[in-house]
Amino acid sequence: MTSNPLPLNISRFGGCTLTGALSVTTQVRDTVTIVHGPKGCTHHNFSLLHATGLDNDRVTLPDLISTGLVESDIIFGGEGALERTLDAVAKRNIGAIFVLSTCIVDSIGDDVAAVCRRNRGVPVLPVPSGGFLGGTFQNGMNNALNAIADTAEPCQKGWCVNIIGEKNLEYEVEENCAEVTRLLTALGISVNLRFLRDCSMIDITRLGAARLNILRDDDLRTVGERLHQRFATPFISSFPVGLAGTNDFLESVADSFGVKNLRAVREEKVLQEEILTEFKDITGTSITFDPALTDSDTFKIACEVADRIDITIDRDGCRVPLEISPPVGTAGVRRMLHRWRRAIHA
Amino acid sequence: MPECENPLWPCAMTGAASCLAGFDGITVVIHGSSGCYYYPATLLHVPLHGTFINENEVIFGSEQRLHEVLDGLFGKGKKIAVVMTCVPAILGEDVLSMLKDYDVILVDSPGFSGDIEAGYKKALSVLAPSVDPDKEGINIDGACLFDPFSWGNVREIVRLLGCASVPVGTVFCSDRLESVGNAAAYTVGTNLDFSSGVGTWLGGTLGFEEISTTFERIASIFPEADPGPVDTEIEREDERIVRACDKFLRRFDPPQAVIFSGFSYATFAARTLKQYLDADILYVGFRNEPGTSPYPGGYVQGFSRVTSLLRQFNPDLVIGSSFERSVDPKRAFVGLTPPLRGMVKLAPHSVAGISGTLSFVEDVLNACMDRKK
Repeated sequence: MTSNPLPLNISRFGGCTLTGALSVTTQVRDTVTIVHGPKGCTHHNFSLLHATGLDNDRVTLPDLISTGLVESDIIFGGEGALERTLDAVAKRNIGAIFVLSTCIVDSIGDDVAAVCRRNRGVPVLPVPSGGFLGGTFQNGMNNALNAIADTAEPCQKGWCVNIIGEKNLEYEVEENCAEVTRLLTALGISVNLRFLRDCSMIDITRLGAARLNILRDDDLRTVGERLHQRFATPFISSFPVGLAGTNDFLESVADSFGVKNLRAVREEKVLQEEILTEFKDITGTSITFDPALTDSDTFKIACEVADRIDITIDRDGCRVPLEISPPVGTAGVRRMLHRWRRAIHA
Repeated sequence: MPECENPLWPCAMTGAASCLAGFDGITVVIHGSSGCYYYPATLLHVPLHGTFINENEVIFGSEQRLHEVLDGLFGKGKKIAVVMTCVPAILGEDVLSMLKDYDVILVDSPGFSGDIEAGYKKALSVLAPSVDPDKEGINIDGACLFDPFSWGNVREIVRLLGCASVPVGTVFCSDRLESVGNAAAYTVGTNLDFSSGVGTWLGGTLGFEEISTTFERIASIFPEADPGPVDTEIEREDERIVRACDKFLRRFDPPQAVIFSGFSYATFAARTLKQYLDADILYVGFRNEPGTSPYPGGYVQGFSRVTSLLRQFNPDLVIGSSFERSVDPKRAFVGLTPPLRGMVKLAPHSVAGISGTLSFVEDVLNACMDRKK
């Protein structure tokens, strides 16, 4: 095992469960998230969410409250601090309170769920997020999505889809959503709910109205299955990635809605050819990637794109950037090619 | 009230990492979960390592994992420093004995033990800095990686000491590790909140008056020192600032300012605004325990307090971090306090030294004039 923080071992390097849960709960506007732990954990995440928010041109800061555990709470138990904080926050006029645990709280054995059960006149949703004890960043995200989904009830279906589990800390989160929306629009289908990005508790009541759920990626499969079970909504397990993958996505969504898709796919293929033509000047070059990513889905998409544009992948080629997440849709491939061209011409 | 809404200041673990990672010759290992690792790693912009412990280590002990990580790092010519985070600190393991076969530094500074300054000081004390009476020059302290101005501060004070023909001793904490035990007998500061306590204190370098006083003291101790060039530069730049501020005041009212920062920077900002712009200092919110201050203010730990103070005083100038800027992005704002998110900073800007005051006043005037347009 290495201490290199590259994402080679997801159990250790999969990020903080608390951060994953916060990336979801802080997207619900009329709520407060209590982080039960030392205030450093809250500051770290507050600062991180602030930074990623600014990257996405959002200046609004999340409402996080730390129970502010200190050494004496660690010794004698922190449930009293959580009680006091919950009582104070419940007096506010808010839609719900999320209570997120931290690894120190799970280590000392505070019964967070029991403290949250007491009726305070406002929904209190505990989300298991005990840092490494709870698993990875993805576990935190999934736990939060599931906890919030449980507040919605089944309702009448519409001609629409939900987008499930966007990576809210991703730099290009809005661009990825815009690309999926563009493809859906080509099929005449609208987005019902971005579950969860910038919405209110009332918006979440519409969760069951979609005819199809589109998961951000396959790591959200357990969430997709739970939503299927609860709302009878089938799911597609990933955003469209790569060129062929984008066309497959269009076909899958169309099939799910029982609509004809020939025109949309044909037009997408034309668009893809036009984009590849834009990058003719790098045809015939040779590129290479970060070796740590050669087993990733991104690598497969990169190979597909390189093949389509007659670029050779060679260990001695020009090192081009590759993100951990594959490029979303045709627009994502185009942005990736721009970065390759910059590196090749550098 | 024990709880804190949106805490604004990092924990002791981050402080320890900020101190240790500043020294060339130390490899810092954060002994804790991935969450504890990622924050300092993204904030400090230096290579850090982690044990990334998970539930296995909590149940069965972290010794094997710690050894696994240390074995991978040994033999690369650097001293290893292990920084304890909250969970390992409460597991009850005898980490010192776990590390007995390794030549490592152990810093016990879990997040619940205090704020960044506490961890910074703890880590520095573990490094056991000492003065070498034969070492020439003057140490510079207050250079904490957490502070986005620390690099600029050090460069500026190195420049000023050079102008005065005084060699630089050890820079705390941005130097080679060997320099820690080989510090000079005298020290000047850039940011008192992160002072080292090493050597005889000759003074700070925040603001022209402080710089002049400090260089006077330097000249009185070092016969070969020549503060003349520094004095001349201060005189020249002071005139430029006075001219620019006077011009501003011909058209505009003095700013009514609210300041949020560590005690040292906040006091500098208030003093400078008062001196050059006759500013009305409505409130100074200190991020850390405040010292004695002539300005109205207090200890402000959480973001909700920031929001309510800004609502209460409705200043036309806010000095602080990007947290404060986010309350009302239309208000004139100058970034002085970490974090300064959402802006690109590549050049070595300073707060300390002559350049620091020039930059600060320049930023204030531009922010105020842009706002008034």
